[in-house]
Order: sequence, then C-alpha cells, then structure tokens
Amino acid sequence: MKLSTVQTDAIQELANIGAAHAATTLSTMLGSSVEMSVPAIKAIDISELGTYMGEESAAMVAFELQGEIQHGGYIIFYITKESSIRLTNTMLGLTDMNRSMNEMDESALIEVGNIMVSAFLDATAELLGFIMLPSPPALSLDMAHAAMSSLIAQMGDDVNEVLLFSTELICEEHKIDSDIIMLPESKTLEKIVEMMENMMKGV
Amino acid sequence: MADPVPPNGQTAMIGIGEYRVGSFPMMTIGLGSCIGLTLYDDSLKVGAMVHIMLPESAGREDRPGKYADTAIPLLLKELGAHGCKSRSLVAKMAGGACMFEYFGTNLNIGERNAEKVRALLKEHNIPLIKEDVGGKVGRSVTFHPASGGKVNVRRADGTTGVL
Repeated sequence: MKLSTVQTDAIQELANIGAAHAATTLSTMLGSSVEMSVPAIKAIDISELGTYMGEESAAMVAFELQGEIQHGGYIIFYITKESSIRLTNTMLGLTDMNRSMNEMDESALIEVGNIMVSAFLDATAELLGFIMLPSPPALSLDMAHAAMSSLIAQMGDDVNEVLLFSTELICEEHKIDSDIIMLPESKTLEKIVEMMENMMKGV
Repeated sequence: MADPVPPNGQTAMIGIGEYRVGSFPMMTIGLGSCIGLTLYDDSLKVGAMVHIMLPESAGREDRPGKYADTAIPLLLKELGAHGCKSRSLVAKMAGGACMFEYFGTNLNIGERNAEKVRALLKEHNIPLIKEDVGGKVGRSVTFHPASGGKVNVRRADGTTGVL
C-alpha cells in the first residue's frame, strides 16, 4: 500500500503517541530519563532488508497483533545485544558487561518488551478507538536479519516490500538504545489509516 | 540471465529472493527460516546461489528466486546457459531455522522450506550432498565456486562450519 504524505503524517503521529507511552514506562523501570526519536516510516524492499538489519546480534521480543483484526502483523521490541546487557544489568543491579546472557536476562527482556508494547498498544487503542492486542511474546536472541526475515516470511501478505514503523528510545544515562518496530499486514495498515482519517475529519 | 561477474570483483551479496550465477564468491547474511541453496558444477567451477524465503510461489512469477518451486528450475536454466549439465550438479543448503518458537502455530516455515527444496532436488535428480538446517539459530553463508564449491557457515552463536 502506497501512503500519501497526509497518511504518513497520521501514522507518524500514532507511532509518536504509542512510543511516548512506551518511553514513559521504560523511564519508570530504569529510574532515568528516556529520549525518543521522531518515528520513521520506511518502505523496504525485502531484498534490501540486510542493509537495515544485518548480522548484528540483537534481542527481539515479537508479538503478533491480534484483537479486532486477527493475524494483523507484528510489533517488535528491538534492542542491540550490548544495550540489552546494559538494560538487564540496570534492572538486576549487575555491572559485568562481558557476561553471557542467561535465563534471568531472557525473562527480563521479555518482561520489558511486554510492558512497553502493551503501553504502546494501549495508547494507540485509546487514540484510534480500535483495539490491537499483543499475542504472548516470543524472544529471539540472534542475528537481526535472521529474526526479522523469519517474521516477514510468516506474514499472511506475500509481500515484496514491507513498511517498517520504527521509533528509537534512548536512555543516555545507561547507554541503552532500543526500538519499537511495527510490521503491519496490509489490512491492519488500511484500518489504521482509515481510523486516523476519520479522526482528523472529525476534529 | 544473471550477471556473471560481481561488482568490483567483490563477494556478491544475495538478498532475499535474489540469486547469482558464476565463479565469484557469493554470500547471504542472516538466514533464519529462509534457505541459502547452492548448486555447483565441479568440472566448470561454476555455481549458483539463491536466497529462498517461501516454499510455494502459488503462480506468482515476479520474483522466482523467492520461492523454492520457481527458484530451482530458474537456477538450472541459468546454469545450463553457463554450460553446466544438470547431471554434474551437486547441491548444498543452509538455513530453515525456527527463530520464534511461539509462532510455530501455522507450521514451521523453515522446515517447510527445507522439505520443499529436498523434494525438488530429488525430482531433478540433483544430489543434496551437505546441509546445515533447522534449529533455532541464524546463519550467514559464503559460497566459493572457485575453491571446489566450498560453503562456509557462520552461526549467530559464534560457531562455524564448512559444507
């Protein structure tokens, strides 16, 4: 689906509100301030995915979008491996950066992903009057491209181009850099655009 | 026909749904449920590599390298144009992992990809001599047609292998 400038702006605003809520929850969990980037919407040809997400190790907590639309695509809490160790160290009161990840880290990452994605979707549901619920989370600690391409392969739309909505959340104090990425199916995107347009007409 | 020479004599990077044919090194990074398949003719030191994402094209023709059922006939045709005989070809594959266990509900795509590739190779009488598939790990693969068709696999957990 090709988006007009107005539609892109509308979705950017939606992602902005969702990510602001997620940033607030992250800030509360870490006890320090979290900065947020302007949400970026990128249309990426699947053959070019490797130039955005390559071999780097990252943690991805992925949720299927459910609720009013079944199998609506995915929403992902993405965090680089270095940042994920800093994040779990901060939460667990540890300092060793060179340790390997264990089950405790995995549980902590899933929990953080769960809380942030729930905050994101609560905020967007309130704004749109249209409910998207997260499925139970699934975690991958692996090459970013391997995890992301596997989610794209599972989408119902057999796509050659994916629309990625991503907002960067940065905690300067603990040097934690993370992203919330949405990978909507076309029916979800159409619904979001429609609800946003209705909302703007109503104002 | 696929371009026989890589850009600037470098390793050719093969993205999802793409393929290359020639004697230069070729690479796919971060295979999850996707399959990196190589076909190789030792008498000519020529090979082909493709990055397959899904088992079935369901009639779609726009990206033949993306689907197992269209990728394999395409590679055979391209290799034939380079003078390779299908009876002298051997195959290797890597990938087909399941990266997210929870989402295994609609059957495991990685496993389906690998099974489809195996079945099609059998149909075309091409021996699958080595494979590194399955599990829950991402893989990057480099194919060296000029060095006997060697395939180097690097897994996300830091381990490596040669096919």
